[in-house]
Amino acid sequence: MPGGMQLKAEVLSTSACALCGACLDWCPYLKNIEDHLVLRFDCPVEHGRCYSVCPRTLTDWQAINERYLADVPYDSDIGAYQTVFRVRRLQPIQDQQDGGTVSTLLQTALDNNMVEGVLITGSGDPLTPQPYLADQEEDIRKAAGSRFLASPSLRKIMEAREKGMEKLAVVGRPCQVQALRKMDYNKPADSPPLDVLSIGLFCMWSLSWSFKDYLASTYPDLTFLRMAIPQHAVELYTNEGIKQIPVETVQSYIRPGCRYCLDMTSELADISVGAFEPEAGWNTVIVRTERGRELLDKAREANLLQIEEYPSEELERLRGASHNKKVRGLRNIKQAVDEQKLTPFIDLSSSPYREIIAESSAKEGF
Amino acid sequence: MEWMVTVNEPGKTFLMQGNEAIVRGALEAGVRFAAAYPGSPSSEILTMLGHVADEMNLYAEWSTNENCAFQACMGASFGGVRALCVVKQNGLLTIGDALHTAALSGCKGGVVLLTADDPNAHSSTNEFDSRHQARAAGIPLLEPATFQEAKDMIVYGFELSEKIGQVVMVRSVTRICHGRGNVTLGELPESPSSPVPIGEWDKLIAINWFHDVLWAKLDQAQELFEESPFNWYSGPEQPELLIITSGTGWLYSVEAVETLGLEDKVGILKLGCTWPLPEKLVLKYLCKSPRVLVVEEVDPFLEQNVANIIAHNPGLNVQLYGRYKKSALPQSFELNPDVVLNALATLMDITYQSSKTGEVPAEAVVNIPPRDLTFCAGCPHRASFFLLKQTLRIHEGNGVVMGDIGCYTMGGQRAGHFLLHSLACMGAGINMGEGLGQLTRFGFNQPVLALAGDSTFFHSCLPGLVNARYHDSNMLFVILDNSATAMTGFQPHPGIPVNCMGQPANAMSIEKIVEAIGCPVTVADPYEIEATTQVVYDLIKKPGMKVLILRQPCATLAVRSKGRRKVWVDPELCRGDNCGCGRFCSKTWGCPGNIWNNQTGKAEIDEVVCVGCGVCASLCPAGAIKVEGGEA
Repeated sequence: MPGGMQLKAEVLSTSACALCGACLDWCPYLKNIEDHLVLRFDCPVEHGRCYSVCPRTLTDWQAINERYLADVPYDSDIGAYQTVFRVRRLQPIQDQQDGGTVSTLLQTALDNNMVEGVLITGSGDPLTPQPYLADQEEDIRKAAGSRFLASPSLRKIMEAREKGMEKLAVVGRPCQVQALRKMDYNKPADSPPLDVLSIGLFCMWSLSWSFKDYLASTYPDLTFLRMAIPQHAVELYTNEGIKQIPVETVQSYIRPGCRYCLDMTSELADISVGAFEPEAGWNTVIVRTERGRELLDKAREANLLQIEEYPSEELERLRGASHNKKVRGLRNIKQAVDEQKLTPFIDLSSSPYREIIAESSAKEGF
Repeated sequence: MEWMVTVNEPGKTFLMQGNEAIVRGALEAGVRFAAAYPGSPSSEILTMLGHVADEMNLYAEWSTNENCAFQACMGASFGGVRALCVVKQNGLLTIGDALHTAALSGCKGGVVLLTADDPNAHSSTNEFDSRHQARAAGIPLLEPATFQEAKDMIVYGFELSEKIGQVVMVRSVTRICHGRGNVTLGELPESPSSPVPIGEWDKLIAINWFHDVLWAKLDQAQELFEESPFNWYSGPEQPELLIITSGTGWLYSVEAVETLGLEDKVGILKLGCTWPLPEKLVLKYLCKSPRVLVVEEVDPFLEQNVANIIAHNPGLNVQLYGRYKKSALPQSFELNPDVVLNALATLMDITYQSSKTGEVPAEAVVNIPPRDLTFCAGCPHRASFFLLKQTLRIHEGNGVVMGDIGCYTMGGQRAGHFLLHSLACMGAGINMGEGLGQLTRFGFNQPVLALAGDSTFFHSCLPGLVNARYHDSNMLFVILDNSATAMTGFQPHPGIPVNCMGQPANAMSIEKIVEAIGCPVTVADPYEIEATTQVVYDLIKKPGMKVLILRQPCATLAVRSKGRRKVWVDPELCRGDNCGCGRFCSKTWGCPGNIWNNQTGKAEIDEVVCVGCGVCASLCPAGAIKVEGGEA
């Protein structure tokens, strides 16, 4: 397995980096400020952990899926899953994004001693995500609400290890869930035990931190409280009400690495959570692993969540959206690889990529 | 060794360093005022004068820059006392205008301008030849060839200066300044030269009316040089080859002639007075030999002046050899006996098997690994360069860093992760940065940084800072404040509350100066790498002219007063060569205090050199480096 210099050549220099932060764990050579993640000094290590955990180095995702989701029926659009629900918290909390489900699941995991701590992203300011480790409900509530600026929060895994935590819940974007699985899949024999319960988020893209500079220069006097992306609009909740920002403007701040992403629903997570598009105040929850199911059951038993059957037409819409992200991602990957701007991190000729490319080529000229 | 420069035992011979001989010469001349800005190889001179200032009843100062030093000497001269200004070749150039105007006005009390050149640039960025400045300004020039002359020429220089009312330049080189040889002492005066009242019609005016006066003074000096004991000939009556030489070239020439046994064929005209040339004396020997070799450091200065004499005397039939166009000697870099031996052997058609210069004799070869120039253990500059480099890399905006002159110049090499993009002269960084920062308006969008040390800041950055602030250049000026002129040996500067004579001085705050011109200024600690990286990152994203002071006292100096904390490596925690470290402390951080034990495969601290700054402990990803009483 190659090391830091190859990671720099293949991932960091090609802007393929997803900013998951997994490589930052343990490493003195890699460092980030905001969304700039670089190899700050040349790394002499020939076989690096960084390269082995990165979701943008060549990976056999099917093999990883086999390892962690072997007995779960596989869906080519939204990944292996058991059930999909629509879910909301019974007693809403302040700042919750949609149904407040993620905060509730974390609380449940802690209450039931399923984990010793949770790794979440939050801060007083919705535009400057800061990852932190929490081990009590109060801290979790402070992180409520989505952050749309990318944060390499997995760098905090080291801190969890240093604190002696062996069971950790991690809330992450799809790329981060991928990295968590790779961390475990490729872990060295002498690696300290770390058991991760992954709560994957739905993610279309994350934004570059220069979006913050854009807002600061466009609205110098406003305080930003929260950001939401209902269908076909981007809404900023400010101290002077909601500001609508054109989708095209926001899209120009999408991190380049996100354009290569094929995963909208955190397909390798134990449980995935996203917005429920048709009705505000609800979440979509995809139960994938037994652990994910157990977590949701415990929250239900504790009367914290209202859990309902998922409308079948909405499931189709979800699958369609997820499928479209794969098509876009594959198109972007193929183009960049053809132009020699990207080292392929998946085998485009393998299943299911081959089929998706073939199918969409037939439809619209890939 | 300072007792030697003040001991009153005329006629007694001591082994003296060239710089000591120069100090002794100044004291024998009754110097009352001495000023300098530190620069190798001349730095020891003013340090010694400062130490003996009380005892010898003189005034010495480390001036803010060479221009201040020289013009202060001119002021003291106007007050009737003898004044010595000490510079190195680069410092001499900063005096340019002042020197040329001083040559027009002339002086009253004797003024000797001692310039110490550095052939081969052992401790300089260049090997500029000061002698051009003497000719350009039109002042007499003396070049000592021995340690005795280093002393005697200072005394003579003051006498000459007062005799003709002109500044006299004495040009030394590293081998004289830092070499040692026998010096026989002269008498010390009862008291140094004393102030003379300035009358209503006494003037010190530099204006072009006096251009002819300047030439007349040179003519007067030339007449005196014809009879000077600093010039002499040795050799046969009619030599086959005449060597004309000055300074250390004379020593090499004597050795070459003796080694090749050419005493009967080759004559040596040794000149101590090299501008204006004693033309009659030179002509006398030019007539005797068909071939002339000029041996000198560094430029063909003497050679071209001899060529000038030949050109003005058409009857002469002389073939001239020297450094010009490499006709006999290399055009650049320092001479040595071997180079001169080879040149002479070739000209005399003798086979001479030289030892190869630079080749280490087998018996001297021991197992010493090659080493880079680097910062001392615990040096705050290492931390500053580390954090600046990583900030620019993290920012991903291809930041450009304009360098300056000081210890931190080494940061342009591996010790500083090759951070610097430019290297020129004192004060260049801020000015070049100002220009580059103005290009933002034309689409140049790389962050621009300029560096300077605290001493350099006072020396030559103030006008540049005012300029950059006034024109609001888009740049970050980083002052690496280690509270010392560390490169040259901890001489005081205007930020230090004690002057070179050990007396209290009115130290001033750099940040207050910066604030006073309206420039936003931030002070941060380079040892706090994580926090200060964020500070730099935030600053380079801001438009306009900003100043950052990275302040941490020179560790070599600080450890003398504060003592050192113990730092050690816990081998259980050290990851060694494995991933997650890869010897980060000794390889990347690179402090001489961080070493590697090949036997155990673990990092260690070299307790001999470690000063206990503890910065490496904050960088170790495994937390394996421990510091007595916690981290820095």
